[in-house]
Amino acid sequence: MKLIKSVIRPNKVDDVRAALERLNLAGMTVTDVRGHGRQKGHTAVYRGKEYEVSLLPKVEIEVVVPNDVVEEVIQAVIAAARTGEIGDGRVFVLPVEAGYNIRTGERDVV
Amino acid sequence: MTITARSQPSDSPAADPRSASELRAALKARLAAARDAYAAEARQGRAGRAVLAHYADQMDGLVRDLATEVLSRVATPIVIAAVGGYGRRALCLNSDLDLLIVAGGPIAAAEERAIGSLLQPLWDLRLTVGQHVREIADFDQLETDNPELLIALFDRRLVAGDAPLFADLEARLERRAAERAALAVTVLLELVEVRHARFNRTIYQLEPDVKEAPGALRDIEALRLLRALRPDVVAPGNGGMPDRAAAAEDFLFRVRSLLHVASGRNANLLTHPLQEMVAEAMGLAGAPQQRVEALMSEYFGHVRPVSRLLASARTAVQPSGDVMVTRAVGRYLELAADGVRFVDPARVAGMPTMWLEAFRVALTEGCPVSGQARSCIEQHVDRYTADDFVATEGDRQQLRSLLVPRVGLYARLSEMHDCGLLGRLFPEFARIQSRVIRDFYHRYTVDEHTLLTIRNIESLRAADVTGRERFAGMLGEVHAPELLVLALLYHDVGKWRGEDHAAESVVMAQPMMERLELTPEARQTVTFLIKQHLVMSRVAFLRDSEDPDVVSRFAAVVKTEEQLKMLCLLTWADIGAVSPDTLTPWKEELLWRLYVDTYNRLTYGYADDLIAMDHAGLDVVVAGRPEDVTEAELWGFLDGLPRRYLALFGLATVYRHVRLARHIRPAEVHASLERHEDIWELSVVTLDKPFLFSNISGVLSYFGMDIHRAQAMTTPAGLVLDVFEFSDVEQFLAQNAAGAAEIYRVLQAVVSGALDVTELLRGKERSVLYRRRQPQPPVIHVDHDHSEKYTVLEIVADDAIGLLYRLSRALSRLGCDLDLALISTEGKRAIDVLHVTKGGNKLSPLDEAALRQELRAMLEGTHEAD
Repeated sequence: MKLIKSVIRPNKVDDVRAALERLNLAGMTVTDVRGHGRQKGHTAVYRGKEYEVSLLPKVEIEVVVPNDVVEEVIQAVIAAARTGEIGDGRVFVLPVEAGYNIRTGERDVV
Repeated sequence: MTITARSQPSDSPAADPRSASELRAALKARLAAARDAYAAEARQGRAGRAVLAHYADQMDGLVRDLATEVLSRVATPIVIAAVGGYGRRALCLNSDLDLLIVAGGPIAAAEERAIGSLLQPLWDLRLTVGQHVREIADFDQLETDNPELLIALFDRRLVAGDAPLFADLEARLERRAAERAALAVTVLLELVEVRHARFNRTIYQLEPDVKEAPGALRDIEALRLLRALRPDVVAPGNGGMPDRAAAAEDFLFRVRSLLHVASGRNANLLTHPLQEMVAEAMGLAGAPQQRVEALMSEYFGHVRPVSRLLASARTAVQPSGDVMVTRAVGRYLELAADGVRFVDPARVAGMPTMWLEAFRVALTEGCPVSGQARSCIEQHVDRYTADDFVATEGDRQQLRSLLVPRVGLYARLSEMHDCGLLGRLFPEFARIQSRVIRDFYHRYTVDEHTLLTIRNIESLRAADVTGRERFAGMLGEVHAPELLVLALLYHDVGKWRGEDHAAESVVMAQPMMERLELTPEARQTVTFLIKQHLVMSRVAFLRDSEDPDVVSRFAAVVKTEEQLKMLCLLTWADIGAVSPDTLTPWKEELLWRLYVDTYNRLTYGYADDLIAMDHAGLDVVVAGRPEDVTEAELWGFLDGLPRRYLALFGLATVYRHVRLARHIRPAEVHASLERHEDIWELSVVTLDKPFLFSNISGVLSYFGMDIHRAQAMTTPAGLVLDVFEFSDVEQFLAQNAAGAAEIYRVLQAVVSGALDVTELLRGKERSVLYRRRQPQPPVIHVDHDHSEKYTVLEIVADDAIGLLYRLSRALSRLGCDLDLALISTEGKRAIDVLHVTKGGNKLSPLDEAALRQELRAMLEGTHEAD
């Protein structure tokens, strides 16, 4: 199993979610986050004053998937979240040792 | 000493195992029978006060039988008392069994064993026991470290054990009764405050906790105790208002009983699915949704008076402010400890506008409208229609001014709502009273959500706006904040239908705007806010707001900075009123960034968007023109003006400007002066020439006018339209009948070059123009990116009479052409956005450096004007 963690633009959440649902993924966790990548924010001006916008609002989507669909999920996220501009986000893949259903206590079989 | 233990099955204590086992079996059977009988009543929706009392009696029997068997084994007298809800015989099916166990002497091993032998069977029966074990001497001290027990002790009653010891307990509690009561009042008020805060201080929960929520069972207990502890100030009748707490309690018990039966535990949350079950069990008629709405309507109908009675009781025992002595406020009102009262309720019952006056006084004085006054209003409000409250312009103004955001507005509007006045003033609002919309996000009824939006706006006027400074500053800049409140009141009224509620809300707001006789501009603003109230959150959260095209399209929707600010505040308040957790800092940041980008787009980037023949909305301008304005003349005037012009000015003003531009010649100035309450508006049309803007602003400064806002626009053909809004600081126009003519004369002379405005102002420079030094450093920002044709200069500086004249003079002196200007004052700061060119091009780096140096020297007061 792998944990796929995608940090994307807030306005791309619905597109990515729809793409994941098309792959019949059972569940996901969506979190509002702030951060920056290589662009390290930018400068904004209000009322003539410049201020640094260092942490940009992003959304993090986490899904745990079987190993055999990891590549497919990554491509689906990238296709749905990409605009081609700086700030499109990142996808990370992490190994998962095990998962348990809290209600039943059963260990996930994937 | 408190023994805290959880239920643990045991095979322990009893002198005779066989008889103990039989006793337990018998107790188990009795308990099962009692619970079955309770559940049967509950399922019929009938387990109210009487059923709970009967169940408590049966539990008394169980405890008594156990105690008889156990307490005989120990020499020390022991008493078992019921406290809290059990003490009041208000015992729900799965409520805690609150017991106070008191020993007449030291609790040693034998006493502990006996008490354990009493509790263990209760635990074995799977009852949740909340036991407090004390020695009698403990009651010589006040119970200060256990506020819940301090409160629960007021509902004590003997269940089993040594009666003389219970009498001793009573006597010891009685000894410090006054001190205990005073402490209990303080503790109770604190507990209520903390509990209410958990529910955002509103009764209108979509999924209420029937025990803990404001207006629910705990509040009824608090009300009853306050009445018992402070009968001197909390009267049972509470200002003539009928006491509906008993009826509310019975209803809530019946609901709570159903929840306990359904869940099998002490669960008190009336969730959406359980509302359907409860409504059906209570025998409410109609389809499932209608039944649920009827149930929730009944729920709010019960908790609302409880909340009101408790609020009055809290005010009575702990009055806010220093108003202790009743004093008259005018002829018909008086200010008392419980708020604004009617001097003669029978008389004021026939004076509906005086009711509004009572709320105005309450807002001004920072106190509530008393129960006496609200009760009077409630009894008579049905006699009047909405029109009766706004019969005269004075009435209409009073109502509009009542809606200006300030601390206390939410509380007063809630009082109006509770006594039926709000729904009478705004009948459209009554359509969403207790309206339940079931979705994943909303936590309150539609009417309460609406009022909470106003509470959010009100919070921006509080003394401490830490963390909300950006939005508080924005509200401070809105010119008619009462329109924002009106729009908030109406933004969701269309939800009574459920489909495209924004459009329905717009339709429903029209009669209100007719009644209030709002100006066309005000109607346009309110309509815009209601119609577009979902747009900004959609763009901020669901679109890529870093995309300039997205911002540009949104800017085209909001059109002006004023509408942008109001829509941003409305959106912020609306999201924050969905639930306490909805408006996260993350969302606030997204909203703020969209605001800033759109603001910059509107103020920096409007110069490139010119009116063209195919401009949307021109049909209306053409179709509505008066007879004396030809279509060709209209085109001639509008051609080349920024599109912003049509967003800023209404049709009547546009046609007035067209007339001003008629037959204009190079040396001429055509001007008109109009008064709008305390603000004068000067419109000037002329042909472009050097120093024009500074000359006009210089003339106004010469006459002592304080310029608040200005718009300057120039067409490619050289036609100039300048509109100045200013206040007549030195009362020149007020005191001179021919003042306007004199301003026209000087304006004409200065613009034509016959008179030098610098000479005119020379005598005033020291006295007026340099009256104040700049206490805040000015901000000068130069932008070359937002506009294709212009360098945009934004200057934020402390406002001063003559500032605009000096700024524009400095620009002209450096050879810059000022084609567009957007001048505003916000508080004591002037914000000037100027679109400039030099020789028809944007400023070069050298020009920019020279301009910055010149402006800084001038703004910091180290440079003469000329």
